[in-house]
Amino acid sequence: MPEELSDSELIAAFKGGDAEALGLLMERHKAAVYGYLLSLTGRPDAADDLFQEVFLKLVKNPSAYGEREKLKAWLFTVARNAAMDHFRRQGSRGEVSLDGDGERPGPADFAASPDPGPEEAALNKALGKKLDDALALLSPEQREVFFLRHYSGLSFKEIAGMLSVPIGTVLARMSRAAALLRKELGKDLAG
Amino acid sequence: MNCGYGEKLILYFYGEAGEGLKAGVEDHLAGCAACRGELAALKAAEGRLSARASMPSAAAVEAVMRAARAAVSRGSIFSYWGEALLCGALSSLMIAGFIFSGRGAPADLAWNSGVDSGLDSVEYSIYQAQSDMASVSTDWEYNCSALEDESLRLAKRLGAKA
Repeated sequence: MPEELSDSELIAAFKGGDAEALGLLMERHKAAVYGYLLSLTGRPDAADDLFQEVFLKLVKNPSAYGEREKLKAWLFTVARNAAMDHFRRQGSRGEVSLDGDGERPGPADFAASPDPGPEEAALNKALGKKLDDALALLSPEQREVFFLRHYSGLSFKEIAGMLSVPIGTVLARMSRAAALLRKELGKDLAG
Repeated sequence: MNCGYGEKLILYFYGEAGEGLKAGVEDHLAGCAACRGELAALKAAEGRLSARASMPSAAAVEAVMRAARAAVSRGSIFSYWGEALLCGALSSLMIAGFIFSGRGAPADLAWNSGVDSGLDSVEYSIYQAQSDMASVSTDWEYNCSALEDESLRLAKRLGAKA
């Protein structure tokens, strides 16, 4: 099956009885969806469970995805709802920082690649820790839009539609997040 | 930071600013250290998240694939509508049962009186209205910027034709 098929074409192929089409879809979106869930929950085991929940929803009912919308927007809406349900079940948001909280390991401890990317090489370790701490200080609403934008790559207009808030609200949350990050990182930032 | 460039800076950083807005932000950046600081902070935070890219476990991926193969072999995708119709019919029967049973909510339960949920609705409406008001000016600026870019594009096209 050619990998350049669109998401809608792959969904149609899956509906037509081709299970491998679902595999290609998952391959295409797994890093973004899992990364988002891991950043929200801070726990690889929870992120794994929620990741399965998202794609199993597509498996059980591929018609739930309206073909007029982007599959990516649909996946992130389902992922967000699954994470919210998870937090409700847990009774709190329960996130830990990327490096964990002492007792629990954080996502950084489970990074799949042992070989750091070019961005990481450019950041020194101390700044990395400061960044994790600063990100953990964002409010849930700020973190939500920040992570959504980073992992989904959806436009702010699409994110606003997803969250059912005006685009101004999304931009204001992002702006406040940027101001807080600047305040926290202060003189550690070059330039 | 109260220079008024907060949201514009976000659109600029994420590549969503049109030509007019982009030029305006670039002019502003030359003289605003706070905005330059925010850009640097955003860049560092985005870099940190990118560097931490990770993948779901092989077991999670395989579990989804097993379910996909099972769904295809059972043909459950095609029976979905049948199941949905059956669920709909059962739900209708249940609703009809409730309507005709004539049982109301117990009068002694305060939270069943609707007062609580009414107050929640009012509170939510106030919050929503505040949020909408705060966003109106940004929406307006965002749309103005889009219109400005459109007029610039049209002017360029007309210029090219002339």
